[in-house]
Amino acid sequence: MSGARDAILGRVERAVRTGRIPSAPPHDRDEDGGTRADGDARRGAPDSARLQERFVLEARALGVETYVEPTAAAVCDRLRTLIAGLRVLAWNPDGLPYDCGSIVDGALLGSSPRADQARAEVGITACHGAIAETGSLALVAGPGCSPTVSLLPPFHVALVRPEDLHERFIDFVTARADALAQSSNCTFVTGPSRTADIELSLTIGVHGPGRVAIVIGP
Amino acid sequence: MSGGFAQRAREALGNQQLHIALDRTTAQLVVRRAAGLASLEDADRVRDRARASKMQLLHTLADSLRAFEARLVENGARVHWAETAADANRIIVEIATKAGVRRVAKSKSMASEETHVNGAFERAGIGVVETDLGEYIVQLAGDRPSHIIMPIVHMTREQVGRVMAQRLAVPYSDDTQTLARYARAQLREEFLQADMGLTGANFGVVENGAICLVTNEGNARMVTTLPRVYVVLMGIEKLVPTMADLDRFLKLLARSATGQKLTAYTTLVRGPRRSGDDSGPDQMHVVLLDNGRSKILAGETAEILGCIRCGACLNACPVYRSVGGHAYGDVYPGPVGSIVTPGIRGLAPFAELPSASSLCGACREVCPVRLDIPRMLLALRHEAVEHTRQPAALRMGLKLFARVASRPRLYRAATAVVRRVLRSRARDGWIRRAPGMASGWTRFRDLKAPAAETFETAWRRRAAGRTS
Ligand code: SF4
Repeated sequence: MSGARDAILGRVERAVRTGRIPSAPPHDRDEDGGTRADGDARRGAPDSARLQERFVLEARALGVETYVEPTAAAVCDRLRTLIAGLRVLAWNPDGLPYDCGSIVDGALLGSSPRADQARAEVGITACHGAIAETGSLALVAGPGCSPTVSLLPPFHVALVRPEDLHERFIDFVTARADALAQSSNCTFVTGPSRTADIELSLTIGVHGPGRVAIVIGP
Repeated sequence: MSGGFAQRAREALGNQQLHIALDRTTAQLVVRRAAGLASLEDADRVRDRARASKMQLLHTLADSLRAFEARLVENGARVHWAETAADANRIIVEIATKAGVRRVAKSKSMASEETHVNGAFERAGIGVVETDLGEYIVQLAGDRPSHIIMPIVHMTREQVGRVMAQRLAVPYSDDTQTLARYARAQLREEFLQADMGLTGANFGVVENGAICLVTNEGNARMVTTLPRVYVVLMGIEKLVPTMADLDRFLKLLARSATGQKLTAYTTLVRGPRRSGDDSGPDQMHVVLLDNGRSKILAGETAEILGCIRCGACLNACPVYRSVGGHAYGDVYPGPVGSIVTPGIRGLAPFAELPSASSLCGACREVCPVRLDIPRMLLALRHEAVEHTRQPAALRMGLKLFARVASRPRLYRAATAVVRRVLRSRARDGWIRRAPGMASGWTRFRDLKAPAAETFETAWRRRAAGRTS
């Protein structure tokens, strides 16, 4: 195996000496080795009301239902209404904000048998971040936070706190670098599952949830 | 695969179904891409920087590969190196056999199409199913994909409905929502049964060893979450240096491919499941594939390794839009395929591909990484001509022409004869089949009949008219 490795690396090393690889103009390179994102220089600190507004706008444009609730109790009420009568799969209750844990008491969890999880009708999660620029939810896999919850059921409800909001992908990735390093899987959910494979006609809910609702609390 | 590009293109041009299907999609994708790019702040700058980071990466590819490998190992993945397609397939089948895998669920991966891994699995008695909707239909139909991101762009919804009705024993439908529901039900079982997931990689991040996968359907999430073994097959060029670069490429990829701001699901995989996790694979393997890439890197077309497989150059290409993907004869169609295919499969059998372009430059215009595709096509044409001795008739013909053209009287007499012959063959001002040396031209296109008088005589006549 190491034979192949050395052969490939050797060929690559020789190749760059003869290959016609355009050189990158210095001003296009990242001055600081690539950690700075585009347009940083003229950016001020984003204020949280504007972030939330943008997030809601982008999520709605993707076909996500969004609810902004003034109190923890209102969040719980909203959640109860959304999941009424449905078979629930959820992140572990202690990982859900606004005391919503009690609502999912007795629900299926990421540790439940796969076949049971596959029959759930709604998945309830919090999130590790919400990206305003794209309306995305960042879900980091870990104990009590199984990716199956936001994936297997046809309906996904996510609870978002204002402090979860980040302006851009790179802001989240930088702020939560430690959490990301400790996890084997981080997924950014940007709207419902979709395809346009057949004649480009938009079709919702292929493998992942076809319906996504986001409840933002105080 | 029969004949060369010319023959396949001719067949494609006569295929009415194909035209309906291609028309319905490519034009729309062009519009969506333009709208998508317009929604990107500082789009030109983002493209410049994306290009710069890819080119920089290629200059230092060996070091980047070593660093990436080290991060993968830290993350708990096993790394394998494959020099050829056959090596990659052998490695992957071996991983599967060792782990007692019986069923494999695949998420869309160009690299695995390049190596034809499905055949290798089947020969080893291992079941394999494609889970991208388009690829799944391709597999059901025993067909081949014809577009990088829209595998069944060549099929109409009616054709898809017939394939599903036949192969899945479901009622015929041409409603896409219904067809997607059929696929969801079938594939859900496959995801839950599979012991192994196989994906490509849209990007590998050098700084942290993350494998980045994007899908709109969610199939890549399924195959990285549910099966107990997870294998990534990726080309050695699919790296980006940092997460900031990744951010840029994700924005460009989604917009250039479908006009979306971000693909519905972007997943970063960093190793097998960690302790305490309820899901995720027990083992993760990454197979780094060369298969001709280091050879491409050494030559005139090295730049093509910066391609992020967005498909924009296919949609923009007037040739692709007329003949579709199958005419290109291999897994990578369109302008990018005309460069990549000769690179990994050798120029000789695909020498026609670089000429399957009018060099209009539409591909370079839309390419998010600003790859100079026309320049590379020209370089390959040059190479193809250098390596093939031109036919004797052509060499003699050119000599003869040089003689005639340098003697004015002879030239005038000769062109008069040629003009008369050609005009006698024309119908409605066009010649469909020219005689003699001109026949080469009409093999691929019609020839406009020569005007009744030559430019020279017309010029003289007018000049005379003005002075009198
Ligand atoms: S060559 Fe450019 S436009 Fe074509 S698929 Fe690659 S990245 Fe996209």
